[in-house]
Amino acid sequence: MNSPNAFLFALYRQALRLYPARLRVRYQNQILQTLCDAHAEARRPLLFWPSLFLDLLQSSVKEHLLMTRDRAVRRPILFHALTLGLVLTLMGGAAAVTMQQMLRRGANHPQIEMGRRYAHAIAAGARPQDLFPAERIDLRGSLEPFAIFYSESGDPIASTASLDSAVPVPPSGIFDYARKYQLDMVTWQPQPGVRMAAVLRHVSGPNPGFVLTGRSLLLVEEQEDLLRRGTFITWFVLMGLLALGALFLSRAESHRPLSA
Amino acid sequence: MEPAAPPELRHLPLSPAVLAILLALAEEEKHGYAIMKEAALPAGGGITLGPGTLYGSLDRLIRDALVEETGFTDDARRRYYRLTQLGHRVLAAETSRLAATLRTARTRTAVREARA
Repeated sequence: MNSPNAFLFALYRQALRLYPARLRVRYQNQILQTLCDAHAEARRPLLFWPSLFLDLLQSSVKEHLLMTRDRAVRRPILFHALTLGLVLTLMGGAAAVTMQQMLRRGANHPQIEMGRRYAHAIAAGARPQDLFPAERIDLRGSLEPFAIFYSESGDPIASTASLDSAVPVPPSGIFDYARKYQLDMVTWQPQPGVRMAAVLRHVSGPNPGFVLTGRSLLLVEEQEDLLRRGTFITWFVLMGLLALGALFLSRAESHRPLSA
Repeated sequence: MEPAAPPELRHLPLSPAVLAILLALAEEEKHGYAIMKEAALPAGGGITLGPGTLYGSLDRLIRDALVEETGFTDDARRRYYRLTQLGHRVLAAETSRLAATLRTARTRTAVREARA
């Protein structure tokens, strides 16, 4: 009698772990014996192992699904509580992500208009050095919006802000993108702990270059942090209430008189 | 009040795999591989059952009391199964259901051919 390939046999034996534990414990020996019997009489040895592993994958998924269904039928309160928990988690997660996106996009708003105004003026012939106020703000601590004008090659020409006494320069990829699409809105972190909502606009005309307008994300990130904490606490409380409710109903169900 | 339906009707219709297993066990008790071989024959349903599908189905049939272990074994790893009374009744009910469907299909095919 030809015996099965030792490696594939061992692999199949390990793969039996894919089945629910109860089924595996009960039938593992019989399954392996049936495999040996079938292998001894296999007419198409090349197809034997692929079909065997395919069967294992399909039937293990099926057994897990059936097991889940049976559990849900036996313990409907738990199943409904889990489903409700999942739905609440997904809805809460989607709402939190949406609000976070709204906060972040809102952080671009003054800069978009500011950048458009500067870009129009520069395209019409104004010199950036004349347009921008002389005083400079410190990007590390200020929440005020700022503007920087860069030449086509990315060198700073005029600026209302500085970071450690120098005008920061964004990565060249942002210039390439703005050159191609006229506008780019990014979160820019020139140094660790200094994050800004930046809008970069390409300017043509007598003074070609880029207008970057931005402002610190400090406040927005505080709001985002508040939102995250609020969402997590709400989720935690809701799940706790759901678990308590499910527990209470399960106990009430198990103590209900049969005649009721 | 309508009389309760016989318990065997609750199990119908059977899936092809379950029908093939019940059919394989209809005449005599068999172990897993013998059931697989029987099911693969054209007369047994022509169903290719892998070991995973077979024992998963057997497990549910035992749980539903359609099949039981005989307790007889010629090897620690080769157990024998047989139909219970309910299993026999379910198989008979499914056979009747399929026979009725077949009769209807033949009648309608014959009418169609006569019209053509």
